[in-house]
Amino acid sequence: MFKYSYDALVYYGEDIAKSIGRVARFGYDAIELVGEPAKQDAKQIRSLCQEHDIAVSSICSIYSGVQRDLSAANPANRSKAVDYTKSVADFAAATGAPVMIVAPSPVGKMAPESDPKQEWEWAVKGIQDAADYAAPMGVKLCIEAWNRYETHFINRLSQCIELMKAVDRPNVGIMGDTFHMNIDDASIPDAIRKANGALIHIHFADSNRAAPGEGHLDFKPILRALKDIDYKGYITFELLPATSDPFGTLRSGGGREFFDDYTRQSIDVIKKIEAEL
Amino acid sequence: MKFGASTFIWVSPFSNKTLDLIGKVKDLGFDLIEICIEDPATIDTAAIGKRLAKEGMGATVCGAFGPDRDLSSDDPSICEKGVAYVKRCADIAHELGADIVVGPMYSAVGKTRMLSPEERKAQRALAAANIRLAADHAAKRGVRLAIEPLNRFETDMINTVEQGMALIDEIGRSNVGLLVDTFHMNIEEKNIPAALRKAGKHIFEFHACSSDRGTPGEDHLPWPEIAKALGEAGYDGAVVIEAFTPEIKEIARAVSIWRQLAKSQDALAGDGLRHLKSVFAKAA
Repeated sequence: MFKYSYDALVYYGEDIAKSIGRVARFGYDAIELVGEPAKQDAKQIRSLCQEHDIAVSSICSIYSGVQRDLSAANPANRSKAVDYTKSVADFAAATGAPVMIVAPSPVGKMAPESDPKQEWEWAVKGIQDAADYAAPMGVKLCIEAWNRYETHFINRLSQCIELMKAVDRPNVGIMGDTFHMNIDDASIPDAIRKANGALIHIHFADSNRAAPGEGHLDFKPILRALKDIDYKGYITFELLPATSDPFGTLRSGGGREFFDDYTRQSIDVIKKIEAEL
Repeated sequence: MKFGASTFIWVSPFSNKTLDLIGKVKDLGFDLIEICIEDPATIDTAAIGKRLAKEGMGATVCGAFGPDRDLSSDDPSICEKGVAYVKRCADIAHELGADIVVGPMYSAVGKTRMLSPEERKAQRALAAANIRLAADHAAKRGVRLAIEPLNRFETDMINTVEQGMALIDEIGRSNVGLLVDTFHMNIEEKNIPAALRKAGKHIFEFHACSSDRGTPGEDHLPWPEIAKALGEAGYDGAVVIEAFTPEIKEIARAVSIWRQLAKSQDALAGDGLRHLKSVFAKAA
């Protein structure tokens, strides 16, 4: 039996009480929270989750902008990015999330600013610092790759593993995201199998980033691969509207299907496939 | 079925310095070469035509659309430059004995903005009017235009076959159709074979690209179903491999290629061609 969660990222701008209520109503085990600790009340979230009998699966950290760049050429910005990552670890601990996402370079940064080898080392050091801070709280960090249009830094699971090995901390693993993997991993099930032992989190979305069933991904071999590696983490649906600026779309009132409709559809479709395995 | 390879696999820009590519593409087993025109000034049609004839190779022409030649720009002078560029590409095609110009000619690649439905409609109408001007120029030379939908990260305007067909309809010229590219379709189409069948006779050219823009066949696309659907769509045009060399930084950055996607660019084209020939032979 897999555990399921839904990423609150697409419930952009919504009151968290409503989000938690919806996820619980459609049968999820947990919710993934957006990693903006300054804008959220961990205590309130914890009590809402208790009330609805769901857990917090994970924190979706938001690496955007120069001050959240763990491989920034500017040391002040690197340091701010480490501070941000530590603040997400605190938020994870306070909400009871076992896992938080970490990314070595911010979304939309499409070229290194200095020597790529140096930037790699900065990312390694930054993730190590945050991981050592998170370890006593029992929080794990998972490294995420994004598709080629969102980062130049790492695009595939094999690159996540390479970075994870360089970081070399027991509380650091990797995650996958089927939307990104559809573009940059030649085979999603093969990439999952090769990540055996390293994969501690996964995002599901169909090929067009909508709910499973809306695109052309075959989730059966993907679930089978997760079963084969005895995956124990959550399957978290991270869905976003089909534009280069999904938050702009949500801000302007688009993407209403990502609320009730896709929250219901995602778990229904995948649980049905899980039952067929 | 004829098979082609894009000059973007190896070079950018194509010019008289890279004419030997025509013989190389022939030796790899292709029937035609898709010549990409970044700057018409580097294109010497007499020299290229001579080499094509010598090697017995066919050609297609692919346009490159940056912010300085945007057929739906708010700036009329940039639209004019865009129309003049597509017309010049049609002339080049004609001079090379090619009958088609392909590419995302409705906008500038990388232009992704949030627009209201009204603004989007106006942008589409502007693109349609400008493409019509170029299409009429091309028609007099026996040249067709094929519009390419791109994925969401490269354009906000035409991402799917359905949107492409609506634009063609608005243009309303029989020499305007679609270029469909499996790399983009993998991201945007709910069902690639179904989209191909739907596009039907409007498919003027087919780009056979792997899901990661590496070697077709070393990816997760359903190639037998794709070949079958193209047959059902009645397509008998060229099957062209398009990929980009990571060696040339400007082009690699423009299409977000950050790593080597095959052992070599020759292996990408050669292995990809073998795969496609086998898949299309079985589907026939």
